[in-house]
Amino acid sequence: MQQFGTDAMKLIEALAVIQRPFPEHAAPFRAFLACGFTPLHLQTFLTAALRERLAMMRVEISTGLFGDLPGNIERLPIAECDALVAVMEWQDLDPRLGIRNLGGWRVADLPDIIHSAERMLARVEKAICHVANSLPVYVSLPTLPLPPLFTTPGRQASLHELRLRQAVGASAVSLAAHPRIRALNAQRLDEISPACSRLDVQSELLSGFPYQLNHASAMAELFAALVRDATPKKGLITDLDDTLWAGILGEDGVDGISWHLDRQSHLHGLYQQFLASLASAGVLTAVASKNDPALVEQAFEREDLLIGKQSLYPIDAHWGPKSESVRRVLKTWNVAPDAVVFVDDSPMELAEVQAAFPEIECLVFPKNDYPSFWQLLRRLRDVFGKSAISEEDSLRLDSIRAAHTLRYASNGEGSSLDSFLRDAQAAVAVNFGKDKNDRRAFELINKTNQFNLNGKRLTEAAWAAYLDDPGSFLMTVNYEDKYGALGKIAVLLGRIDDGAAAIDYWVMSCRAFSRRIEHHSLRWLFDNFHLQEIRFEYRPTGRNKPVQDFFANIVSAPLPANLRITRMEFFEKCPPLFHNTKVKAAVNG
Amino acid sequence: MDNFEERLVHCFSSVFPGLSEGQIRDASVDSLPEWNSLAAVTLVALIQEEFGVQVSLADLPNLVSFSAVQNYVRHNHVAS
Repeated sequence: MQQFGTDAMKLIEALAVIQRPFPEHAAPFRAFLACGFTPLHLQTFLTAALRERLAMMRVEISTGLFGDLPGNIERLPIAECDALVAVMEWQDLDPRLGIRNLGGWRVADLPDIIHSAERMLARVEKAICHVANSLPVYVSLPTLPLPPLFTTPGRQASLHELRLRQAVGASAVSLAAHPRIRALNAQRLDEISPACSRLDVQSELLSGFPYQLNHASAMAELFAALVRDATPKKGLITDLDDTLWAGILGEDGVDGISWHLDRQSHLHGLYQQFLASLASAGVLTAVASKNDPALVEQAFEREDLLIGKQSLYPIDAHWGPKSESVRRVLKTWNVAPDAVVFVDDSPMELAEVQAAFPEIECLVFPKNDYPSFWQLLRRLRDVFGKSAISEEDSLRLDSIRAAHTLRYASNGEGSSLDSFLRDAQAAVAVNFGKDKNDRRAFELINKTNQFNLNGKRLTEAAWAAYLDDPGSFLMTVNYEDKYGALGKIAVLLGRIDDGAAAIDYWVMSCRAFSRRIEHHSLRWLFDNFHLQEIRFEYRPTGRNKPVQDFFANIVSAPLPANLRITRMEFFEKCPPLFHNTKVKAAVNG
Repeated sequence: MDNFEERLVHCFSSVFPGLSEGQIRDASVDSLPEWNSLAAVTLVALIQEEFGVQVSLADLPNLVSFSAVQNYVRHNHVAS
């Protein structure tokens, strides 16, 4: 049920993986491994780790010249690659920082070594940023120990060494700020590959490969995980008693529950603080508790809670099975079970929920086990972590509350959807700028399942190439009404040619359902470009029923794969739309 | 074939995946064009990983056949 660590792959296992045949018709994934040393086993491990994660792709890794990291990056044939993996070591910054060159370690040499390292860092940084404008880049800063060239004893950090590390740190900050560069986390590498077991002096001197096998394996594993980032989970459902707080609310009372050092219940305070952090980053958080709802309401009035009830929605407290609560929470959120984590201190409750929802990740809250608690937080950060937080992340919970209000209002007695929408003061903003760094649009295409034209995903390189095509367009839609802003909730990618549009990708967040935004998007395209017809690369998937229903209301079933909707068909079936429209950018700007 | 030999053959077949067990036993630098320096370094790394033997790269020039490797590992391997 819980897996917090990964075992390093052995070389013999890596060779077995890369010798497996590729699936038929596998699309290529071409990565360039840029390093200044002989790539040798790192290339083997990286190929194997990527093949494990990209099982349906033909993984190909090419490499450059020995001893020329910056040149390898500068000469990179960008059009022939899908990603760059750049591995920087000290000797790439100045050969005297390695052990294969005998350029001198005298005291008088040190200022020049630092100066040349700083210049080389600037060159490498510039080359990487240039590539990142076209390709995703994954980069590691030096991982090997510095040789003993400084004059202080090893236990004392020398000023020169600190200056080198400062320069590398500053460069890492610049690189990681680029939206398409991901830096390998040195802290995670430290955990799985101890610093004292990384350098293989013999191998470096005799074959030019400086890594011990375990270190090469660990580096490859982390890089592959960066390249093939798992889709972050969307929501966390937590128990209350002995989980969000210490104590049993029904027995200890509102004042008896605790989460503080003086009551030896500080872990629960840390957990609350952590959940508040997740919620602030857009993770949905809810409660499933066997409790008296009135008492729970009172408990959430306590002002010293580190996560307020406004961050937890819904709070589902009753005496029935927890799986009932989970079912209600999933329905309110409108997310699939595999996007959710459930945390409870009771193995029995976890088992009950797991039996009802095998796809949910169920994690035990280890209330008196401090090391396991630390592992729990690490695991949660890994499954919910994302590269960047968007404006939509901060709106998510509010928009779900608003959607709940909308559903309630539109289903109410005597109320029709038309009159409800007319009163909603809805505003739609259409953005027609082709911004390759629009992470939200890229993310929506790659995680939306329900309102998804065909289920197709895009790699970062394919996304950039699509937008580079002068004939393509990217249309994004933002929405807000009097119940709150939903942010950017729809993305269309396609081409317009001779009075017709061809849509290759169309996704809309499930939070935006029942507002006729999909109708509004098509009407805007028909009107703005005077289109007579829109063609859709439609494909039914196991999960895109909302798209199927939308089309079935306009054209007769069965829906063909190359679906066409004429202007007349659309406007005949289009229901009344009440949105105000703003266009936010020039066409194909 | 004992467990030791089985593991050694497995190491060789990982580096030279096209060879049968019999061909591996007869393999040598002279008879096998694929046995280049890259293959030799990979083979040594595999043997170190599999048997815990520290192979000096300086000994590489002597490890020119399956039987030479077998003798080397037998002499330096402390059974685990």
